[in-house]
Amino acid sequence: MGRVRGIAWYTMLSGLSLVFIAPVVWMLITSFKTPDEATRVPPTLLPQSPTTGAYDTIFSGGSQTPVLRWFLNSMLAATGQALLVLAVASMAAYALARMEFRGKRAIFALIIATMFVPSFVLIIPNFLMVDRLGWLDSLWALIVPGAASAFGVFFLRQFFQSLPRELEEAAVLEGANSWQIFTKVILPLSKPALATLAVIAFLTNWNDFIWPVYVLFSPGNFTLPPGLAILQGAYTINYPVIMAGAAIASIPVLILFVIAQRYIIEGVSRSGLKG
Amino acid sequence: MKPHLSRRGLLGLGVGAGGAVLLGACGDDGPNPVVGGGGQAQPAATNYTGPNVALTFWNGFTGGDGPVMKSLVDRFNSENPNIKVTMNVYEWADYYQKVPAAVSTGNGPDLGIMHVEQVATNAARGVVLPLDDVAASLQLKEDDFSPPVWRAGVYNNKRYAIPLDVHPLGMFYNKAVLEKAGLDPDNPPKTKDDYMKALDALKSKGVQGHWATPFPFTGTMQFESLTWQFGGQLFDEQATKPLFAEAPGVQALTWLTDLVKNGYSPKNVAQDADLIALQNGKAAFNWNGIWTINTLKGVKGLTWGVSALPTIGTQPAAWAGSHNFVQFKQRTPDANKLQAGKVFINFISKNSIEWAKGGQVPARKEIREGGEFKGLAEQAAIGSQIDNLHFPPSVPGIPDAMATIDTAINEAILLRKEPGKALADAAAKASQILEQNRKKYGG
Amino acid sequence: MVDVLAETTTGTSAPVAAAPRRGPGLTPYLFLAPYALLFVTFTLAPAAYGLWISLHDWDYLLPGKPFVGLDNYQALFSSTSPVFDFFWQSMQATGIFTVFSVPLLVVVPLGIALILNRSFKGRTVFRAVYFAPYVLGVAVIGVLWRFLLDPNLGAVNALLGAIGLPDSTAWTTGLPWAWVSLVGVTVWWTLGFNAVIYIAGLQDIPRELYDAAKVDGAGRWAEFRHVTLPGLRPVLLFVVINTILASSNMFGQAYLITQGAPGVETRTAIMYIAEEGLRSYRMGSAAAMSYLLTLALLLISMVTFRLFRTKD
Repeated sequence: MGRVRGIAWYTMLSGLSLVFIAPVVWMLITSFKTPDEATRVPPTLLPQSPTTGAYDTIFSGGSQTPVLRWFLNSMLAATGQALLVLAVASMAAYALARMEFRGKRAIFALIIATMFVPSFVLIIPNFLMVDRLGWLDSLWALIVPGAASAFGVFFLRQFFQSLPRELEEAAVLEGANSWQIFTKVILPLSKPALATLAVIAFLTNWNDFIWPVYVLFSPGNFTLPPGLAILQGAYTINYPVIMAGAAIASIPVLILFVIAQRYIIEGVSRSGLKG
Repeated sequence: MKPHLSRRGLLGLGVGAGGAVLLGACGDDGPNPVVGGGGQAQPAATNYTGPNVALTFWNGFTGGDGPVMKSLVDRFNSENPNIKVTMNVYEWADYYQKVPAAVSTGNGPDLGIMHVEQVATNAARGVVLPLDDVAASLQLKEDDFSPPVWRAGVYNNKRYAIPLDVHPLGMFYNKAVLEKAGLDPDNPPKTKDDYMKALDALKSKGVQGHWATPFPFTGTMQFESLTWQFGGQLFDEQATKPLFAEAPGVQALTWLTDLVKNGYSPKNVAQDADLIALQNGKAAFNWNGIWTINTLKGVKGLTWGVSALPTIGTQPAAWAGSHNFVQFKQRTPDANKLQAGKVFINFISKNSIEWAKGGQVPARKEIREGGEFKGLAEQAAIGSQIDNLHFPPSVPGIPDAMATIDTAINEAILLRKEPGKALADAAAKASQILEQNRKKYGG
Repeated sequence: MVDVLAETTTGTSAPVAAAPRRGPGLTPYLFLAPYALLFVTFTLAPAAYGLWISLHDWDYLLPGKPFVGLDNYQALFSSTSPVFDFFWQSMQATGIFTVFSVPLLVVVPLGIALILNRSFKGRTVFRAVYFAPYVLGVAVIGVLWRFLLDPNLGAVNALLGAIGLPDSTAWTTGLPWAWVSLVGVTVWWTLGFNAVIYIAGLQDIPRELYDAAKVDGAGRWAEFRHVTLPGLRPVLLFVVINTILASSNMFGQAYLITQGAPGVETRTAIMYIAEEGLRSYRMGSAAAMSYLLTLALLLISMVTFRLFRTKD
């Protein structure tokens, strides 16, 4: 593109970026301020005397607030659920998108209909179920039930439907069975959708803070959201601590996303029809 | 630290949701009157001689009070080698959600803390055990505490809670701001006239002295304090009907609303903005809970003081909450654990002066009136209101009815409804809720 | 509704017979089995249980859970019941939020996705930037924005004041400002989510179709109209439904930023349902409200599907 247009282009994108990133940056800046500076009116732009006091406070909590442990638990739970969702939802979505079988419509209708039921109605029955399974106070309770959400199936079904059928037909002519078509043709073609779903599933789990409150009891088994709630309860108007807690919960995921999005977009072949 | 409202308050909604399923599931021994655990006629609970037991103790002491309780627990453990108490801390809102759930699945703690207004509901729903025998064996009686605090732990003629502390509202003030307006920073206003004069003086210096917050923390608490000051009540004693919309309540809310109308407070004060304003010198006064002592002690360069609430109405009165010990129902009651738990409750109660140092007023009279407590200037200033505190009726589901007050306060202070109309609407709603609860809990 | 779904989602490629399979048709069920196990256990059974709960005066901690038939539903339509005003007020709040947020969340992310799907230097960075807010959980954005939007002490009003605009807007306590804030924050927060889904969808549109359009001499608009939009259709439908559901389920933002203020104006349906069920322990009534909301959403979605289908 031309130079002038290039400049206009980047100016526009950057301006827009500012709107998105400024609050996040403000969160970071605030986390390095002193408590009284954080609430000063009018606010200071940069910390007058930058301090890591808020982070020290958070990490010095000891056995009642083992932040690194929470982080690790969150990582395990979110990764575990994302993988489980990918596995079960992709198979189900493939069947629903590409196969004909008795009851298909009814099954799909049922799955979709449950998306309309507010999820908090499910909390109590699920709690009961998790107790029966002996999963209370364990990460299994965070990984498995959430993977039953209709979201992943609906999402992937819509994507699979938009894939051209020609490649599958070619594979059938070569004698491939359904499993081979699924793993060798459909999944490779759907990398953008799969990566997107993985990120979404990961984040949904990472940010969930209602369910963990019910099923986790020991501080050592907490994930970040209920863990950080302890900090927020303790430091009501100490905004540096609250913002530092928010930063700890978000920045690592942000970095992960930057890495993961290469898979969502870059280097992923467009529909394999090209070749 | 706030008693039980969380900014992540959606959780607050979940109080106990999960648990009961399991209570139901683990054999319908029903809610409390039928509770068999615990054992009557226990020996005095001042010592425990049985086999080694491990107790779990859950609470919501996430703030500066957490370490204080922790060190008391440690001391107890070292003095009682056959009892090992482990303490877990949660955010209050999460705690109220988690505890009934845990209790009913057999994962529950042995001991816990509950705010006084939660006791009746949890008793009616079978989450906590009656503690009459504790009171009896420890020889605790009303005289040892402040009567309203002591009575608040009783539901259906049974005691379910042993008071640990009271945490009243006090008037916090920014000394530098008072000085700037030519007011005596060591002699804050005590009467309505003095208070209004101070607000006028501040206003003339461009300071809006009392930020009137429309939110429950602490707008509703201020309203309740004022209602009692004007001689009113929130509900009748059995909580059969709301009284907060009668003349004293209207006077109380009108006074708060007028702070905004007359420019002593900015409009549209957001949650916590009133406290922040006190902290950064935009306001002179903030009526807030005793837990604010810890918050303000952490602010460098702030000179502040705290006193009893000024008497705006016809008599002194202040809102207060209270932390209470409870014992939780277990799937299989263990007499040894129950006994050991009582020893623990007694120990902490006896040593509640240490607890007071963390920013509380001890519930126990002997400690409150001891020299050591008087030495805690801030706590003692707020604690001086002990005879003027009020608690909601001990009726299950009372928090549901009280939530209607929050809405009325919000509407009035945001100038969307006249105080009288806002309160009347809320009272109509509260009546319906009270009736519904009577039906549900049978009362 | 599924009929409509099936019709609207038929892909751009020529209709082909279902992929041939061997055996008497056990294969699809095997593919479905793992998900089905989870679905039945953790979604379907609990949802059915919820329906059962809605027919009872149900507090799980109380031993008596009397069957009340449709009373819980009837109460929602009886103006003398304690829940009537609050419930419909909350439905109205949810309605307002949904009506204003959904169009923005469907259209704006599409624009962003189209921009970010072009190739230019630094594209990866910009994508990360626009998606960044979604990475923050609702607990984080709630606290952050209440801090920023504080009418008297917040950075937003300070900033507006600094550039000469009114600096005392009641972002969290006044109307219509509270709605502006809630919709604005939600768009800011979740726009990247929809944009990423669109981008993934754009990746799936065969390049050849664009090449063919070029050969036919189609302009940008024609290309968008005849290649991009049809190619995105299944994804677009997904985005629309999902956004309607997300918006109508909104409560975290309102609970944290406005706390339902002023009065109960911004108390959304889910917020009220949660209060009723989880704080006041009237699960039967709360479940009835949930299923009424479910019904309303199903109807609205069906209407949307019809519109969707007749549009092109």
